[in-house]
Amino acid sequence: MNTRLLMTLRVTVAAPQNIAGVPHGTRRTVPITGGDFDGPWLRGSVLPGGSGDWLLLRADGVLELDFRATLRTDDGALISMRSFGLRHGPPEVMEALARGEAVEPAAYYFRTTPRFETSHPKYAFLNRRLAVATGDRRAEGPVYTIHELH
Amino acid sequence: MNARPLMRLRFTTAPVEEISLTPHGTLSIFPITGGSFEGERLRGTVLGGADWVTAGADGTRELDLRVTLETDDGALIHMTFTGVRDDANHYFRTLPRFETAAPKYAFLNRLLAVGVGEGHRDGPIHTIEEIL
Repeated sequence: MNTRLLMTLRVTVAAPQNIAGVPHGTRRTVPITGGDFDGPWLRGSVLPGGSGDWLLLRADGVLELDFRATLRTDDGALISMRSFGLRHGPPEVMEALARGEAVEPAAYYFRTTPRFETSHPKYAFLNRRLAVATGDRRAEGPVYTIHELH
Repeated sequence: MNARPLMRLRFTTAPVEEISLTPHGTLSIFPITGGSFEGERLRGTVLGGADWVTAGADGTRELDLRVTLETDDGALIHMTFTGVRDDANHYFRTLPRFETAAPKYAFLNRLLAVGVGEGHRDGPIHTIEEIL
């Protein structure tokens, strides 16, 4: 698999909304309050309005992530990002994460597959590319290292 | 990113169904009539499905595939992928996902994957790797 670094994305989160038991698992919504991103071709900030992560804890212990964020580049372009992801690991690691403790990212699986949409010509290449990301869940919010599939 | 091979998957297709211009672009449906897959951890045949392909104004095609796989030991696996195919730039990449009830293959429920596609006259071939 050939990839190249697209960006590092840091988001800050507010208190989760616990929807709790739903037909497909345990649902929790995490509002995103802001953040920033930077990479070789683009950098900017995360807009809080339409950004959040819709989480579903499945019966098999795997957490499904449905992440949506609006990014604004430093030259004013808006980019809509959506990514599906999975997070799972040994129970003691997942419990430490839930308590907000720092955990080495290699101790659990936290991967996502971002897609981007924009109308801005400079960033239109993002419309035609798939990406994969490695996540690092920190107390203040997750950090994603996003690589473009080349 | 680290990845390891999961499978090489071949599809056979029936004649395309051209829905043509829709509000989202030009929709073509490629019925999948069969095929096979092989990797170190699983192998078997494709029972069938289809790929819903929408061509956008910029010439790239968005793929939305659903198929059922059957392993050589009888497990059924529901596979989907979304993807992008942009022949002008030799770009044909997918993001496969799997669902199965078979304990032996439950690892598929817990992984994300990427695929590199190649177009062939008798149907596409996808080389799929697990994202580690």
